[in-house]
Amino acid sequence: MIEQFLTELQKSLSLFKPESALVITFLMTLAGDLIFRKSEKLTANITLIGFVVTGFFLFNECNDGSTTIFSGMLAVDSFAKFFKIIILLSSIIVVIMSLFSKELFDGKRPMGEYYMLITSATFGMFLLSSATNMIMIYLSIEIMSISSYILAGYTKEINRASEASLKYVIFGAVSSGLMIYGISLLFGMTGSLNLLEINQVLATGDLNIVTLTFSMILIMAGIGYKISAVPFHFWTPDVYEGAPVTITAYLSVASKAAGFAVLIRFLRLGFTNLETAPESETWAMISNLDWQFIIAVLSVLTMTVGNLVALWQTNAKRMLAYSSIAHAGYILMAVAVMNDIGTAAVMIYFFVYMIMNLGAFFAVMLISNEIDSDEIEDYTGFGYRSPVLGIALVIFLISLTGLPPTAGFIGKYFVFGAVIDSGLIWLAVVGILNSVVSLYYYMKIVRNMFVRGVELEQKDVHFSPGAIMVLVALAIPTLVFGIYFQQIVEWAKNSVQMFVSN
Amino acid sequence: MEILDAVFYLFALMIVGSASVVVFSKNIMYSAFALLFTLFGVAGLYVLLNADFLAVTQIMIYIGGILILIIFGVMMTNKIRGVDIKTGVSGKVQVYSAGAAVLVLGITMISIFNNTEWLIKDAPALDATIKPIGRLLLTDYLIAFEAASVLLLAAIIGAAMIARRKKA
Repeated sequence: MIEQFLTELQKSLSLFKPESALVITFLMTLAGDLIFRKSEKLTANITLIGFVVTGFFLFNECNDGSTTIFSGMLAVDSFAKFFKIIILLSSIIVVIMSLFSKELFDGKRPMGEYYMLITSATFGMFLLSSATNMIMIYLSIEIMSISSYILAGYTKEINRASEASLKYVIFGAVSSGLMIYGISLLFGMTGSLNLLEINQVLATGDLNIVTLTFSMILIMAGIGYKISAVPFHFWTPDVYEGAPVTITAYLSVASKAAGFAVLIRFLRLGFTNLETAPESETWAMISNLDWQFIIAVLSVLTMTVGNLVALWQTNAKRMLAYSSIAHAGYILMAVAVMNDIGTAAVMIYFFVYMIMNLGAFFAVMLISNEIDSDEIEDYTGFGYRSPVLGIALVIFLISLTGLPPTAGFIGKYFVFGAVIDSGLIWLAVVGILNSVVSLYYYMKIVRNMFVRGVELEQKDVHFSPGAIMVLVALAIPTLVFGIYFQQIVEWAKNSVQMFVSN
Repeated sequence: MEILDAVFYLFALMIVGSASVVVFSKNIMYSAFALLFTLFGVAGLYVLLNADFLAVTQIMIYIGGILILIIFGVMMTNKIRGVDIKTGVSGKVQVYSAGAAVLVLGITMISIFNNTEWLIKDAPALDATIKPIGRLLLTDYLIAFEAASVLLLAAIIGAAMIARRKKA
């Protein structure tokens, strides 16, 4: 018995290398920070090297044959791998972004903990995107939440940051409390925490529908909070505005990616017939909860509220916060399709969303380094002071709107394609109307930067070559993937397969 | 079985009663002390469910650790000890809507607990649970156990970072 366990443990550990590498990075950063207190960039370098090593293991992870490890707690499959790559890439970009941030280095702040907590949050997201057991789902949500609560308040002497952190903690504590109560109700009915076993019990069909709905509402409160879906979005604007820009960018991409990964896996493994369905067909539901309708309504609410409130914002960070809520709405639209095409669309969208959103936040950060303000009013004429940054930001904003020839258009194209394909025309119409609304507030920034303030003779701004390089490295893919997107699409389509059977 | 039922209701009454003191008391010290009885009552329920390890853990961690910390926190922070926290009325609308929400939620919960067919398994023979829990933690739930340690490490680092004084 022990021997069998040990062989399984060995097999599990060999498939757990990326996560192990992250934990080792975490500990190395801790040790490096303790031993070499003086050197400033050391911890950042250790973290970056650790992330690259993690990426190496992740890419070499065998693709064939998805399986579960650690007695069915985690799944190793191409679906998780895709999301892990997105999470890792955005973590790397955020760490690089942090090197250029002025607000973080203000007053010689010790930065060791910052990188450690980014690493631990990434570890939590990795676990979340492969968790198949409710305990693991809860635990990994907690790992990433607790790390990001602290990160949100990292610039603690700034009142807004402390306020953001506190709000985040309180909302987070309530929603995870609701979620674990929902999990306990689910456990009371099914007697299991493993999604596959829950699926088997649900398939027998004699569960009380009211109780099931109630527990699902509670569980969705936990997941919806992570992806900031309306009505669980109230924390988003304040936290995004108060937190350091780098962390705002991190939360809006990586943490959402992990949230969507777990949402899709939860629906797929828990509530659908696990026999492999033809690609375009909607997964057969096994309980009488109409998930398609529920997710569609959530999606409409999320994108409409996000876009309409974004219209009134005067602060660029806050506006991008609402815009990220709206984007969560578009992605939920693809989740509502509930088939493999929809899942592939979610993945494609996430890939382009990562590049353009991180790029937009990076540009906002560079501007606020210079002028010490995030107000859109203060951007007046900035396009003439630094044309490179101006043009890059315009590219990101056009891409966020979803106009060709940018990557954002490709993301939207596949999402709307999947939605229309499955016959949810009304949903697609709402989505397109929303995209039109979003054009207005994105263009407000462009107008302030280029159209207004020509007459103001402000002096030119020059950014460090490194910052320009990172900016260009984000802007070019935004354009290139708008034209050559075939590989991303192939990759996403090959990655939709999830671990489904023992 | 009737004695057990009586004991259960005793503990339940204790939990609900002291929990309402926690919520409605205007003095934060009273709230903190009332929390002691709530947590103790929960430990009692665990004992009734044959969960000996959980009951002891509940007492050690929640009463011995967290509650003491809360009380110390209250006593050492002069500013909040004297201050009455607002638990009362800020407007009629709030009171009525909160009341309505509690009522709806209460009815839903009661109907849920009465109507659901919970999965009921036969209780295993009464035995100490520490050994099976320990074995499961190091086999089936190994990864959860290890992930929890990363969580704690991150939390400790965060707490240290928050508490750290700014260097001059």
